[in-house]
Amino acid sequence: MTTGQRCATDDVHCITCSDEGIEMTVVEMTQCGAQCRDPEGIDQRVEVDLVEPVAIGEVLLVHAGVAIANVSRPPAPNQPVTS
Amino acid sequence: MKFVDEYRDPELGRALATQILAETEPGRHYKVMEVCGGHTHSIYKYGIDDLLPPNVELVHGPGCPVCVIPMGRVDDGIAVARNDGVIFTCFGDMLRVPGSKQTLLDAKAEGADVRMVYSPLDALRIARENPDREVVFFAIGFETTAPSTALTLKRAKAEGQTNFSCVCNHVTIVPPLRALLESPDLRLDGFIGPGHVCTVVGARPFDFIPGEYGRPVVISGFEPLDILQSILMILRQLREGRCEVENQYKRVVPQDGNLKALEVMAEVFALRPHFEWRGLGFISQSALRLSDEYAEFDAERRFATPNVRVADPKACQCGEVLKGVIKPWECKVFGTACTPEHAIGTCMVSPEGACAAYYNFGRYQRQREAV
Repeated sequence: MTTGQRCATDDVHCITCSDEGIEMTVVEMTQCGAQCRDPEGIDQRVEVDLVEPVAIGEVLLVHAGVAIANVSRPPAPNQPVTS
Repeated sequence: MKFVDEYRDPELGRALATQILAETEPGRHYKVMEVCGGHTHSIYKYGIDDLLPPNVELVHGPGCPVCVIPMGRVDDGIAVARNDGVIFTCFGDMLRVPGSKQTLLDAKAEGADVRMVYSPLDALRIARENPDREVVFFAIGFETTAPSTALTLKRAKAEGQTNFSCVCNHVTIVPPLRALLESPDLRLDGFIGPGHVCTVVGARPFDFIPGEYGRPVVISGFEPLDILQSILMILRQLREGRCEVENQYKRVVPQDGNLKALEVMAEVFALRPHFEWRGLGFISQSALRLSDEYAEFDAERRFATPNVRVADPKACQCGEVLKGVIKPWECKVFGTACTPEHAIGTCMVSPEGACAAYYNFGRYQRQREAV
Protein backbone atom coordinates (compact mmCIF):
# COMPACT_ATOMS: atom_id res chain seq x y z
CA MET A 1 0.00 0.00 0.00
CA THR A 2 1.25 3.47 -0.76
CA THR A 3 0.55 6.71 1.00
CA GLY A 4 -1.92 7.71 -1.66
CA GLN A 5 -4.24 4.76 -1.20
CA ARG A 6 -7.29 4.59 1.03
CA CYS A 7 -7.46 2.76 4.30
CA ALA A 8 -6.36 -0.77 3.53
CA THR A 9 -8.99 -2.32 5.78
CA ASP A 10 -11.81 -1.19 3.59
CA ASP A 11 -12.12 1.17 0.66
CA VAL A 12 -14.71 3.41 2.27
CA HIS A 13 -14.20 3.07 6.00
CA CYS A 14 -11.67 3.13 8.69
CA ILE A 15 -12.91 0.93 11.46
CA THR A 16 -11.87 3.11 14.35
CA CYS A 17 -13.00 6.43 13.00
CA SER A 18 -16.27 5.20 11.70
CA ASP A 19 -17.21 3.98 15.17
CA GLU A 20 -18.08 1.02 13.03
CA GLY A 21 -20.13 -1.92 14.13
CA ILE A 22 -20.79 -4.54 11.50
CA GLU A 23 -23.89 -6.64 12.01
CA MET A 24 -22.83 -10.26 11.56
CA THR A 25 -24.84 -13.46 11.86
CA VAL A 26 -23.52 -16.34 13.96
CA VAL A 27 -23.16 -19.39 11.72
CA GLU A 28 -21.14 -21.66 14.01
CA MET A 29 -20.04 -21.74 17.61
CA THR A 30 -16.44 -22.83 18.15
CA GLN A 31 -14.26 -23.39 21.20
CA CYS A 32 -12.54 -20.05 20.65
CA GLY A 33 -15.44 -17.78 19.72
CA ALA A 34 -18.04 -17.78 16.99
CA GLN A 35 -17.84 -18.00 13.23
CA CYS A 36 -19.91 -15.10 11.93
CA ARG A 37 -21.04 -13.98 8.47
CA ASP A 38 -21.13 -10.35 7.40
CA PRO A 39 -23.77 -8.83 5.06
CA GLU A 40 -21.53 -9.57 2.06
CA GLY A 41 -21.33 -13.26 2.96
CA ILE A 42 -17.78 -13.19 4.26
CA ASP A 43 -17.09 -15.34 7.32
CA GLN A 44 -14.89 -14.26 10.17
CA ARG A 45 -14.07 -15.58 13.61
CA VAL A 46 -15.47 -13.25 16.25
CA GLU A 47 -14.69 -12.97 19.94
CA VAL A 48 -17.97 -13.20 21.86
CA ASP A 49 -16.88 -12.99 25.50
CA LEU A 50 -18.57 -9.62 25.99
CA VAL A 51 -22.01 -10.65 24.70
CA GLU A 52 -22.45 -14.23 25.86
CA PRO A 53 -24.63 -16.22 25.73
CA VAL A 54 -24.78 -16.36 21.94
CA ALA A 55 -26.66 -18.78 19.71
CA ILE A 56 -26.42 -19.74 16.04
CA GLY A 57 -28.57 -17.43 13.90
CA GLU A 58 -28.29 -14.44 16.21
CA VAL A 59 -27.02 -11.11 14.89
CA LEU A 60 -24.05 -9.51 16.66
CA LEU A 61 -22.64 -6.02 16.39
CA VAL A 62 -18.93 -6.60 15.75
CA HIS A 63 -16.18 -4.04 16.09
CA ALA A 64 -12.51 -4.86 15.48
CA GLY A 65 -13.15 -8.59 15.69
CA VAL A 66 -15.01 -8.38 18.99
CA ALA A 67 -18.80 -8.53 19.43
CA ILE A 68 -19.99 -5.59 21.53
CA ALA A 69 -23.75 -6.14 21.34
CA ASN A 70 -26.22 -8.90 20.58
CA VAL A 71 -28.75 -7.27 18.25
CA SER A 72 -31.02 -10.32 18.36
CA ARG A 73 -31.59 -9.78 22.06
CA PRO A 74 -32.51 -6.10 22.01
CA PRO A 75 -32.77 -4.26 25.31
CA ALA A 76 -36.12 -2.71 24.37
CA PRO A 77 -38.64 -3.00 21.55
CA ASN A 78 -37.57 -1.40 18.29
CA GLN A 79 -38.69 2.14 17.79
CA PRO A 80 -40.67 2.74 14.61
CA VAL A 81 -38.66 4.28 11.82
CA THR A 82 -41.16 7.05 11.43
CA SER A 83 -42.79 8.58 14.44
CA MET B 1 -30.89 -7.63 4.35
CA LYS B 2 -32.18 -7.40 7.90
CA PHE B 3 -31.28 -4.16 9.69
CA VAL B 4 -30.04 -2.52 6.47
CA ASP B 5 -32.57 -2.31 3.63
CA GLU B 6 -35.46 -1.15 5.78
CA TYR B 7 -33.36 1.78 6.99
CA ARG B 8 -32.50 3.01 3.49
CA ASP B 9 -36.02 3.29 2.06
CA PRO B 10 -36.16 6.46 -0.11
CA GLU B 11 -39.90 6.97 0.42
CA LEU B 12 -39.56 6.88 4.17
CA GLY B 13 -36.57 9.19 3.87
CA ARG B 14 -38.60 11.76 1.97
CA ALA B 15 -41.43 11.42 4.49
CA LEU B 16 -39.02 12.10 7.34
CA ALA B 17 -37.61 15.10 5.48
CA THR B 18 -41.15 16.51 5.22
CA GLN B 19 -41.68 15.99 8.94
CA ILE B 20 -38.34 17.68 9.69
CA LEU B 21 -39.39 20.70 7.66
CA ALA B 22 -42.66 20.85 9.59
CA GLU B 23 -40.80 20.91 12.92
CA THR B 24 -38.67 23.94 12.07
CA GLU B 25 -39.63 27.49 12.91
CA PRO B 26 -39.22 29.97 10.04
CA GLY B 27 -36.44 32.44 10.72
CA ARG B 28 -34.63 30.20 13.19
CA HIS B 29 -31.30 28.64 12.28
CA TYR B 30 -30.59 25.23 13.82
CA LYS B 31 -27.08 23.86 14.37
CA VAL B 32 -26.98 20.15 15.16
CA MET B 33 -23.66 18.40 15.79
CA GLU B 34 -23.14 14.81 14.77
CA VAL B 35 -20.54 13.69 17.25
CA CYS B 36 -19.36 10.61 15.45
CA GLY B 37 -17.24 10.32 12.32
CA GLY B 38 -19.40 7.41 11.18
CA HIS B 39 -22.40 9.73 11.11
CA THR B 40 -20.43 12.31 9.13
CA HIS B 41 -19.55 9.63 6.60
CA SER B 42 -23.17 8.43 6.28
CA ILE B 43 -24.52 11.98 5.97
CA TYR B 44 -22.39 12.69 2.92
CA LYS B 45 -22.45 9.21 1.46
CA TYR B 46 -26.27 9.22 1.37
CA GLY B 47 -26.76 12.93 0.76
CA ILE B 48 -28.74 13.39 3.95
CA ASP B 49 -27.82 17.07 4.19
CA ASP B 50 -29.48 17.62 0.80
CA LEU B 51 -32.82 16.51 2.28
CA LEU B 52 -32.69 19.04 5.09
CA PRO B 53 -34.16 22.55 5.04
CA PRO B 54 -31.52 25.26 4.56
CA ASN B 55 -31.95 26.44 8.14
CA VAL B 56 -30.94 23.05 9.59
CA GLU B 57 -27.16 22.92 9.62
CA LEU B 58 -25.15 19.83 10.50
CA VAL B 59 -21.90 20.52 12.34
CA HIS B 60 -19.25 17.82 12.35
CA GLY B 61 -17.93 16.78 15.74
CA PRO B 62 -14.68 15.40 17.12
CA GLY B 63 -15.66 11.72 17.02
CA CYS B 64 -12.97 10.56 14.64
CA PRO B 65 -10.05 9.23 16.71
CA VAL B 66 -7.58 9.36 13.84
CA CYS B 67 -8.51 13.02 13.30
CA VAL B 68 -7.89 14.02 16.90
CA ILE B 69 -4.62 12.19 17.51
CA PRO B 70 -1.82 14.75 17.90
CA MET B 71 1.31 14.49 15.82
CA GLY B 72 3.48 13.93 18.87
CA ARG B 73 1.73 10.65 19.59
CA VAL B 74 2.30 9.52 16.00
CA ASP B 75 5.98 10.35 16.44
CA ASP B 76 6.03 8.25 19.61
CA GLY B 77 4.59 5.31 17.68
CA ILE B 78 7.13 5.68 14.89
CA ALA B 79 9.96 5.78 17.45
CA VAL B 80 8.75 2.48 18.92
CA ALA B 81 8.33 0.95 15.46
CA ARG B 82 11.95 1.77 14.58
CA ASN B 83 13.36 -0.38 17.39
CA ASP B 84 15.23 -3.46 16.21
CA GLY B 85 13.18 -6.61 16.51
CA VAL B 86 9.86 -4.83 16.94
CA ILE B 87 6.77 -5.79 14.95
CA PHE B 88 4.55 -2.71 15.13
CA THR B 89 0.85 -3.27 14.52
CA CYS B 90 -2.01 -0.81 14.06
CA PHE B 91 -5.32 -0.32 12.27
CA GLY B 92 -5.05 0.52 8.59
CA ASP B 93 -6.26 4.10 8.91
CA MET B 94 -3.49 4.90 11.39
CA LEU B 95 -0.76 4.10 8.87
CA ARG B 96 -1.30 7.30 6.90
CA VAL B 97 -1.62 9.80 9.74
CA PRO B 98 1.16 12.37 9.47
CA GLY B 99 3.60 12.75 12.33
CA SER B 100 5.94 15.72 12.46
CA LYS B 101 8.23 14.25 9.79
CA GLN B 102 6.62 11.13 8.38
CA THR B 103 3.87 8.53 8.65
CA LEU B 104 4.05 4.96 9.87
CA LEU B 105 3.87 3.94 6.20
CA ASP B 106 6.99 6.01 5.52
CA ALA B 107 8.73 4.29 8.45
CA LYS B 108 7.67 0.93 6.99
CA ALA B 109 9.12 1.92 3.61
CA GLU B 110 12.38 2.70 5.37
CA GLY B 111 12.55 -0.77 6.91
CA ALA B 112 10.47 -0.72 10.09
CA ASP B 113 8.29 -3.83 10.45
CA VAL B 114 4.89 -2.11 10.52
CA ARG B 115 1.84 -4.32 9.93
CA MET B 116 -1.83 -3.54 9.59
CA VAL B 117 -4.25 -5.53 11.72
CA TYR B 118 -8.03 -5.62 11.80
CA SER B 119 -8.21 -6.41 15.51
CA PRO B 120 -5.84 -6.20 18.48
CA LEU B 121 -6.46 -9.94 18.81
CA ASP B 122 -4.60 -10.30 15.49
CA ALA B 123 -1.66 -8.46 17.03
CA LEU B 124 -1.67 -10.89 19.94
CA ARG B 125 -1.71 -13.79 17.49
CA ILE B 126 1.36 -12.31 15.76
CA ALA B 127 3.05 -12.16 19.18
CA ARG B 128 2.32 -15.85 19.76
CA GLU B 129 3.73 -16.71 16.33
CA ASN B 130 6.89 -14.63 16.86
CA PRO B 131 8.12 -15.40 20.39
CA ASP B 132 11.57 -13.97 19.65
CA ARG B 133 10.17 -10.57 18.56
CA GLU B 134 8.54 -7.73 20.50
CA VAL B 135 5.04 -7.09 19.15
CA VAL B 136 3.48 -3.70 19.84
CA PHE B 137 -0.13 -2.68 19.16
CA PHE B 138 -0.86 1.03 18.64
CA ALA B 139 -4.28 1.35 20.22
CA ILE B 140 -6.58 4.18 19.19
CA GLY B 141 -10.31 4.71 19.32
CA PHE B 142 -13.20 5.67 21.53
CA GLU B 143 -15.18 3.41 23.82
CA THR B 144 -16.31 1.32 20.84
CA THR B 145 -12.76 0.13 20.27
CA ALA B 146 -11.39 0.13 23.80
CA PRO B 147 -13.15 -3.13 24.84
CA SER B 148 -11.35 -5.08 22.09
CA THR B 149 -7.98 -3.78 23.33
CA ALA B 150 -8.95 -4.54 26.94
CA LEU B 151 -10.05 -8.05 26.08
CA THR B 152 -6.80 -8.64 24.17
CA LEU B 153 -4.65 -7.48 27.07
CA LYS B 154 -6.64 -9.57 29.52
CA ARG B 155 -6.00 -12.58 27.31
CA ALA B 156 -2.29 -11.73 26.94
CA LYS B 157 -1.98 -11.57 30.71
CA ALA B 158 -3.79 -14.88 31.18
CA GLU B 159 -1.48 -16.49 28.62
CA GLY B 160 1.64 -14.97 30.18
CA GLN B 161 2.56 -13.38 26.83
CA THR B 162 5.72 -11.42 27.61
CA ASN B 163 6.54 -10.15 24.10
CA PHE B 164 3.31 -8.19 23.62
CA SER B 165 2.66 -4.57 24.58
CA CYS B 166 0.45 -1.67 23.69
CA VAL B 167 0.81 2.08 23.06
CA CYS B 168 -2.49 3.20 24.51
CA ASN B 169 -4.16 6.20 22.87
CA HIS B 170 -7.76 5.34 23.68
CA VAL B 171 -9.91 8.38 24.29
CA THR B 172 -13.32 8.96 25.81
CA ILE B 173 -16.11 10.95 24.20
CA VAL B 174 -17.67 12.87 27.09
CA PRO B 175 -14.76 15.22 28.00
CA PRO B 176 -14.34 16.68 24.49
CA LEU B 177 -18.10 17.24 24.26
CA ARG B 178 -17.95 19.15 27.51
CA ALA B 179 -15.01 21.16 26.14
CA LEU B 180 -17.02 21.98 23.01
CA LEU B 181 -20.01 23.05 25.07
CA GLU B 182 -17.74 25.36 27.08
CA SER B 183 -16.33 26.87 23.88
CA PRO B 184 -17.51 30.45 23.48
CA ASP B 185 -17.28 30.44 19.67
CA LEU B 186 -19.69 27.58 19.09
CA ARG B 187 -23.46 27.67 19.51
CA LEU B 188 -25.14 24.31 19.09
CA ASP B 189 -28.83 23.44 19.39
CA GLY B 190 -28.51 19.69 19.83
CA PHE B 191 -26.41 16.57 19.39
CA ILE B 192 -26.73 13.38 17.36
CA GLY B 193 -25.20 10.94 19.86
CA PRO B 194 -22.64 8.27 18.93
CA GLY B 195 -24.62 5.04 18.61
CA HIS B 196 -21.90 2.47 18.86
CA VAL B 197 -20.02 4.18 21.66
CA CYS B 198 -23.35 4.08 23.52
CA THR B 199 -23.58 0.35 22.87
CA VAL B 200 -20.69 0.12 25.31
CA VAL B 201 -21.22 3.05 27.70
CA GLY B 202 -25.02 3.33 27.51
CA ALA B 203 -27.06 6.51 27.36
CA ARG B 204 -26.53 7.84 30.88
CA PRO B 205 -23.08 9.44 30.37
CA PHE B 206 -24.78 12.00 28.12
CA ASP B 207 -27.29 13.17 30.72
CA PHE B 208 -25.05 16.14 31.53
CA ILE B 209 -25.72 17.73 28.12
CA PRO B 210 -29.42 18.44 28.74
CA GLY B 211 -28.91 18.62 32.49
CA GLU B 212 -26.08 21.17 32.59
CA TYR B 213 -26.12 22.76 29.15
CA GLY B 214 -29.78 22.59 28.16
CA ARG B 215 -29.21 20.84 24.82
CA PRO B 216 -31.08 17.75 23.57
CA VAL B 217 -29.22 14.57 22.62
CA VAL B 218 -30.57 11.77 20.44
CA ILE B 219 -28.47 8.62 20.29
CA SER B 220 -28.57 7.53 16.68
CA GLY B 221 -27.95 4.58 14.42
CA PHE B 222 -25.92 4.96 11.26
CA GLU B 223 -28.34 4.22 8.45
CA PRO B 224 -29.88 7.15 6.56
CA LEU B 225 -33.32 6.80 8.17
CA ASP B 226 -31.73 6.50 11.61
CA ILE B 227 -29.99 9.84 11.14
CA LEU B 228 -33.03 11.57 9.65
CA GLN B 229 -35.24 10.32 12.46
CA SER B 230 -32.68 11.49 15.03
CA ILE B 231 -32.66 14.99 13.52
CA LEU B 232 -36.45 14.97 13.62
CA MET B 233 -36.43 13.93 17.28
CA ILE B 234 -33.99 16.74 18.16
CA LEU B 235 -36.08 19.36 16.36
CA ARG B 236 -39.24 18.02 17.98
CA GLN B 237 -37.67 18.36 21.44
CA LEU B 238 -36.71 21.94 20.61
CA ARG B 239 -40.20 22.81 19.36
CA GLU B 240 -41.90 21.24 22.36
CA GLY B 241 -39.47 22.88 24.78
CA ARG B 242 -38.17 19.53 25.98
CA CYS B 243 -34.52 18.77 26.60
CA GLU B 244 -33.44 15.20 27.28
CA VAL B 245 -31.42 12.24 26.08
CA GLU B 246 -33.48 10.10 23.74
CA ASN B 247 -32.44 6.78 22.25
CA GLN B 248 -33.34 6.42 18.58
CA TYR B 249 -31.04 3.37 18.32
CA LYS B 250 -32.95 1.25 20.81
CA ARG B 251 -32.64 -1.81 18.63
CA VAL B 252 -28.95 -1.93 19.59
CA VAL B 253 -28.17 0.49 22.45
CA PRO B 254 -29.15 -0.54 25.98
CA GLN B 255 -29.68 2.20 28.52
CA ASP B 256 -26.83 0.92 30.68
CA GLY B 257 -24.45 -0.13 27.91
CA ASN B 258 -22.50 -3.39 27.87
CA LEU B 259 -21.69 -4.09 31.51
CA LYS B 260 -19.21 -6.86 30.67
CA ALA B 261 -17.29 -4.51 28.38
CA LEU B 262 -17.28 -1.75 31.00
CA GLU B 263 -16.02 -4.23 33.58
CA VAL B 264 -13.08 -5.40 31.50
CA MET B 265 -12.23 -1.80 30.57
CA ALA B 266 -12.24 -0.81 34.25
CA GLU B 267 -9.83 -3.65 34.99
CA VAL B 268 -7.37 -2.92 32.17
CA PHE B 269 -7.46 0.88 31.86
CA ALA B 270 -7.16 3.91 34.11
CA LEU B 271 -7.85 7.54 33.25
CA ARG B 272 -4.93 9.73 32.23
CA PRO B 273 -4.89 13.04 34.12
CA HIS B 274 -4.85 14.87 30.78
CA PHE B 275 -4.35 14.15 27.09
CA GLU B 276 -3.77 16.32 24.05
CA TRP B 277 -6.45 16.35 21.36
CA ARG B 278 -5.62 17.72 17.97
CA GLY B 279 -7.40 21.02 17.55
CA LEU B 280 -8.91 20.92 21.02
CA GLY B 281 -5.74 21.11 23.13
CA PHE B 282 -5.25 19.33 26.44
CA ILE B 283 -8.42 17.94 27.99
CA SER B 284 -8.33 16.50 31.49
CA GLN B 285 -9.37 12.89 32.10
CA SER B 286 -10.16 12.40 28.44
CA ALA B 287 -7.97 9.40 27.64
CA LEU B 288 -7.00 5.99 28.95
CA ARG B 289 -3.70 4.47 30.00
CA LEU B 290 -3.05 0.92 31.12
CA SER B 291 -3.89 0.33 34.77
CA ASP B 292 -1.12 -0.53 37.23
CA GLU B 293 -2.24 -4.16 37.07
CA TYR B 294 -1.43 -4.17 33.33
CA ALA B 295 1.63 -1.88 33.44
CA GLU B 296 3.85 -4.71 32.20
CA PHE B 297 2.06 -4.43 28.82
CA ASP B 298 2.61 -0.68 28.50
CA ALA B 299 4.88 -0.09 25.50
CA GLU B 300 5.61 3.43 26.71
CA ARG B 301 7.33 1.88 29.73
CA ARG B 302 9.11 -0.71 27.61
CA PHE B 303 10.47 1.60 24.89
CA ALA B 304 11.90 5.11 24.85
CA THR B 305 9.68 7.65 23.08
CA PRO B 306 10.29 11.33 22.22
CA ASN B 307 7.12 12.34 24.13
CA VAL B 308 7.30 15.81 22.55
CA ARG B 309 4.32 18.03 21.77
CA VAL B 310 4.30 19.00 18.08
CA ALA B 311 2.29 21.98 16.82
CA ASP B 312 -0.03 21.45 13.85
CA PRO B 313 1.12 22.77 10.45
CA LYS B 314 0.25 26.46 10.19
CA ALA B 315 -1.73 25.99 6.98
CA CYS B 316 -3.93 23.32 8.53
CA GLN B 317 -7.26 24.35 10.09
CA CYS B 318 -8.27 20.90 11.35
CA GLY B 319 -8.76 22.33 14.81
CA GLU B 320 -11.46 24.72 13.64
CA VAL B 321 -13.07 21.98 11.55
CA LEU B 322 -13.07 19.61 14.53
CA LYS B 323 -14.75 22.23 16.69
CA GLY B 324 -17.32 22.89 13.98
CA VAL B 325 -16.26 26.53 13.71
CA ILE B 326 -15.60 26.32 9.98
CA LYS B 327 -16.74 23.97 7.24
CA PRO B 328 -14.01 21.86 5.62
CA TRP B 329 -14.17 23.77 2.35
CA GLU B 330 -13.46 27.02 4.23
CA CYS B 331 -9.98 25.76 5.18
CA LYS B 332 -7.29 27.52 3.16
CA VAL B 333 -5.69 24.30 1.91
CA PHE B 334 -8.83 22.16 1.42
CA GLY B 335 -8.79 20.40 -1.93
CA THR B 336 -5.63 22.16 -3.07
CA ALA B 337 -2.56 21.43 -0.96
CA CYS B 338 -4.57 19.06 1.24
CA THR B 339 -6.28 16.12 -0.47
CA PRO B 340 -6.82 12.48 0.54
CA GLU B 341 -3.80 11.57 -1.59
CA HIS B 342 -1.56 14.16 0.07
CA ALA B 343 -3.17 14.99 3.39
CA ILE B 344 -1.80 17.78 5.53
CA GLY B 345 -4.42 17.50 8.21
CA THR B 346 -5.86 14.43 9.89
CA CYS B 347 -9.43 15.30 8.89
CA MET B 348 -8.42 14.55 5.31
CA VAL B 349 -6.69 11.27 6.20
CA SER B 350 -9.57 9.25 7.50
CA PRO B 351 -12.59 8.69 5.23
CA GLU B 352 -14.66 9.51 8.33
CA GLY B 353 -12.88 12.83 8.73
CA ALA B 354 -15.11 15.75 7.80
CA CYS B 355 -12.72 17.02 5.13
CA ALA B 356 -12.39 13.65 3.42
CA ALA B 357 -16.16 13.14 3.58
CA TYR B 358 -16.71 16.50 1.88
CA TYR B 359 -14.01 15.83 -0.66
CA ASN B 360 -14.98 12.24 -1.51
CA PHE B 361 -18.69 12.86 -1.90
CA GLY B 362 -18.60 15.92 -4.11
CA ARG B 363 -19.07 18.76 -1.63
CA TYR B 364 -15.82 20.33 -2.78
CA GLN B 365 -17.08 20.51 -6.33
CA ARG B 366 -20.51 21.78 -5.26
CA GLN B 367 -19.09 24.55 -3.12
CA ARG B 368 -16.91 25.66 -6.01
CA GLU B 369 -19.93 25.71 -8.30
CA ALA B 370 -21.88 27.73 -5.74
CA VAL B 371 -19.09 30.31 -5.62
